Amino acid sequence: MVFVRHILPPTILAALFLGGWEGYVAASGASPLILPAPSDVMNGIMVERAQIARHAAATIRVAAIGFGLSVAFAFLVSVALHFAGWLRRGVMPLLIASQTVPIVALAPLMVLWFGFGLLPKVLLVILVTFFPMVVSLTAGYATLPRAFRDQLVSMGAGGWTVFRRATLPSARGHFFAGLRISATYAIVATIFSEYAGARQGLGIYILTAKNNFRADLVLSAVFVSALLTLGLLGLIQILDRATGRRYRRQTHA
Amino acid sequence: MLEIDSLTIRAGDRLLVDDLSLTLQAGQLTCLIGPSGCGKSSVVKWLAGVLADELRVKGRAGLDGAPLVPPHARIAYQPQQDTLFPWLTILENASLGLEVRSARKAAAHDRLRSMFPVFGLQGHEDSFPDQLSGGMRQRAAFLRTMVQDAGLLLLDEPFSALDAVTRLRMQDWLVARLDENPRAVLMVTHDLFEATQIADRVLVMAAAPGRITADLPITTPRRDRTEANLAETRSRLKSMLLKDTE
Repeated sequence: MVFVRHILPPTILAALFLGGWEGYVAASGASPLILPAPSDVMNGIMVERAQIARHAAATIRVAAIGFGLSVAFAFLVSVALHFAGWLRRGVMPLLIASQTVPIVALAPLMVLWFGFGLLPKVLLVILVTFFPMVVSLTAGYATLPRAFRDQLVSMGAGGWTVFRRATLPSARGHFFAGLRISATYAIVATIFSEYAGARQGLGIYILTAKNNFRADLVLSAVFVSALLTLGLLGLIQILDRATGRRYRRQTHA
Repeated sequence: MLEIDSLTIRAGDRLLVDDLSLTLQAGQLTCLIGPSGCGKSSVVKWLAGVLADELRVKGRAGLDGAPLVPPHARIAYQPQQDTLFPWLTILENASLGLEVRSARKAAAHDRLRSMFPVFGLQGHEDSFPDQLSGGMRQRAAFLRTMVQDAGLLLLDEPFSALDAVTRLRMQDWLVARLDENPRAVLMVTHDLFEATQIADRVLVMAAAPGRITADLPITTPRRDRTEANLAETRSRLKSMLLKDTE
């Protein structure tokens, strides 16, 4: 019973939480300027749907471009690091050290350097999502059993053949794990970059709503951005399922 | 067909294999037997071209009179661990060696399909390794090794992961396959029962440093290899192995 075991418990908890919230707002008479009820938030989404959709589309565009470029770039870098040991030994410690920088705090700097266009936002998304991808891929490559490599080498395979036929397939699980982590950061990073300066996007929508004391619209946009991240994770899940029936055996074997 | 001339393998200051020389005849099954850590796997890995880079090697090998630079197309290697790739079907796994050696995939698959019944794998072409029993996986690994058309097979403890009954069956099975299609085989094992059961010749290795201490032909025909007929050979081998590990 998948439904009873896995779907019912979070549904009940979420319903209790939302019901409690709604009840508290009604009972306490809290100002909707400070704490709007869930129904107010839903109402906000309905009334403002055209606006929110327009801003969400801008956010999706930035996140998609940034995340796509980040994944491609991370893959190329991971392959380079895999084949050049000295490069890996040089770059990895620096890459890890770079993670102590709160990258979202660089958002204002990006605007200062690159203006209000697409570039600073895409750059920020890349900066935030790049690192988990590289680390996951590099860790994935390292899981290749020595015997698999030996088997191919004894057949006369060169470095690239070993990589293509064994290293890359065995890193697949790590790749998708990294993809999921990066995906959750992608929307967050986009919204942050829009805070720092944008004409369109959920970030700037939230900022404007806050300045107008519309807590309900702030929460509406937050809700929609959570949906965007869930949607992205769903797409990754579909991609994983559609392409990898045979690869999931690794974990069961 | 294969000659090894004074092979020495070192790991740092430690001597793993010391001045080892041997000659293998075509069509003969030779077992290399010895205690753990005597360097028998290292010899086989060196011939397969997969010895760890940090080990230092001196010595030469020749294949049919020509100097051997491993890995070589006429030598097929089967590592100790089961190396069927879990994301490939049995057919794809079996075809790996042919494809790496630049055979066309379709041609390799056609050729392999006809071999599946002989290897007891008919109907499992599109199965994945985790759907097969231990013995079947091992037969699939043998199929991948044997289809490579190498004159020399290097087998590193091929039966060590199998249960006792499957192991006995697989020993007979391997001998039958080699009768159909004779090749030189160098098989590493630590099991003297297994070695005397299937080998034409047993080489005994001693440890620290690894060297060959005895070269024993098993002349009893395979059909006559009963407990009673092999008792004397086995007890000789046993005392050699025990003496070496004292």
